[in-house]
Amino acid sequence: MLMGGMAQAENVEHESILMLRFGGSWRQDQYLSPLLYKGLMVGIGNEWWQPFRKETKLGQAGKLDNWEHVGRLDVRFDWTYNPTRSNVLYALQLQTGWGANYVWRFAEHGVQVFVGPYLDVSGGIKYHIANVNKPISLDLMVSAQAQAGVSYAFKGKKTSYRLRYMLRFNLIGVDYMPDYWQSYYEMYKEVLGQVRCAGMWNHRTLHHELTLDMQFPHSTWRVGICHDYDEYGQKNMMFSTEEVSLVVGTSFRYKLNPKKDFTSF
Amino acid sequence: MANVRLYIVLLLIACTACTHRFDGVEDNTPMGNMECLWRTLDEKYCYFEEKSIDWQKVHDDYVPKVKTIRSEDYLALFDTLANMVNCLNDGHVNIYSDFDVSRCDSWYEGYPKNWDWDVVKNRYLKDYRIAGGAYYNTIADGQVGYIYVSSFEQVVGVNNMAYILRSFKECKGLIVDVRENGGGDLEYAYQLAATFFEHDTTVGYWQHKNGCGHNAFSKLEPQQLRKSKMPSTWLRPVVVLCNRKTYSAANFFVSIMRYAHNCAIMGGVSGGGGGMPLSYELPNGWTVRFSSIRMFDASKNSIEPGIHPDVLVEDNLQTEQDEIIEAAVQLIKKCYKNDTSR
Repeated sequence: MLMGGMAQAENVEHESILMLRFGGSWRQDQYLSPLLYKGLMVGIGNEWWQPFRKETKLGQAGKLDNWEHVGRLDVRFDWTYNPTRSNVLYALQLQTGWGANYVWRFAEHGVQVFVGPYLDVSGGIKYHIANVNKPISLDLMVSAQAQAGVSYAFKGKKTSYRLRYMLRFNLIGVDYMPDYWQSYYEMYKEVLGQVRCAGMWNHRTLHHELTLDMQFPHSTWRVGICHDYDEYGQKNMMFSTEEVSLVVGTSFRYKLNPKKDFTSF
Repeated sequence: MANVRLYIVLLLIACTACTHRFDGVEDNTPMGNMECLWRTLDEKYCYFEEKSIDWQKVHDDYVPKVKTIRSEDYLALFDTLANMVNCLNDGHVNIYSDFDVSRCDSWYEGYPKNWDWDVVKNRYLKDYRIAGGAYYNTIADGQVGYIYVSSFEQVVGVNNMAYILRSFKECKGLIVDVRENGGGDLEYAYQLAATFFEHDTTVGYWQHKNGCGHNAFSKLEPQQLRKSKMPSTWLRPVVVLCNRKTYSAANFFVSIMRYAHNCAIMGGVSGGGGGMPLSYELPNGWTVRFSSIRMFDASKNSIEPGIHPDVLVEDNLQTEQDEIIEAAVQLIKKCYKNDTSR
């Protein structure tokens, strides 16, 4: 996303980053079990950005700050165990969203700051191997979120780098909240009846990541660390997911002037 | 500039750091597990009032026993907790561990067995066919169709029933035998029963435990049986056979079939198991299953104690034939005769 703001100045028209994730996962789903489950997660995701206006038009206006729009698609799978490792909880999560950032560029320091709204759609299915009559639980949420970030670009000996920190959290939306006593016979029949208004008072999500992009002569690579937190509850039931993962990715960049790098403002 | 870089890096690392804020459950000690088990059932089990169980007294009786158990003596803990939950006299209450599963047998002990598989197999099913979870054949010289469903773990679906009923097209009536059927998936029970209903019908009610008190229940929620998607419905006489080991989903099936067209229930009192079970985990990873959703028949009577048959027939297993099947055959012939003479 931040690449968008930065890259716009270096003539990038569209950038897509394919990322792999691997890390640890902590899950609590009191519809399925009162215990905290811990385990591992893997994921694959794609993030893309595109400026609203091409740089040529920006240049004519004599202005570097600009809006960019960003999108993201993530698929994650985790398998977690209870403390005695006697039961397993499997979870498959799909998350996508679209947002717009306004980017301020401080070219002399190599710094960019961005902030903007984001619409997030996420859904997941969890399967508990030992639960009778309700082995499956759902996570469903559509929310308006806020995102912000900062990046710092600098040159190495042969490579240019970009360090970026970004965070995103929910403001308001709707989510799915089952009743404890609902069996799976009823779950699917009454999904709509279990949808509620969700905001920061009853559902908190946080996604933040620290990434380092490295631009080599013929390719751009990303490494980073990502932290996702999701917590909600009602009626004495709590649901939470926390994932900390390492990110490795590569970038596909489409730009007007391929010779320019991160630090070219 | 170097200071600015260092400041930014430190700030970002600090922001990425995370802490866990999960609520814990009881300690993984014998007493912690016992208290968790007791409280879970206290808040979520649905039959304390109906069975007049003094659960607090059970707690007080078992605390001294559990206090003497050392943490490493998992077998003693398991047996003690199993005895504690067996006070509920409920076949749907079990503790599952990696080394054992507790079970309660008292709900069927003392009742007539009313079942001999060898007799049924050798005398009635003989060269039977299997369609889904159903064994079937014609009996009484081809006059009666006989279906044995040993479990609702496997579906007897619309297609299965279409073929079965096609092979019974010359029969005067049909016997559906669910003796020894310990239950399974309720949807499968619904699917089988739907073959015998002409219209969508309210066949029972459910009631959820929605609070901590022993009497905290939701309002009764009607359960609708949808008419089968088969082109035709079986409207000739049907007799459903049950015994005390007809339990859980099979017990619900018997309850449903009381509202089917031209159907009689025959045999012994069914086993009950009218509480749909849910499960919960203890701190040591054992899982406890317990009745949590109360099921009622269409007259709003609890089906937990079992269903009393329309025609009580006990088989003392003294003869070479199954007395309950023989009685059912006679009933079908009689019904058919009455129907055709009208």
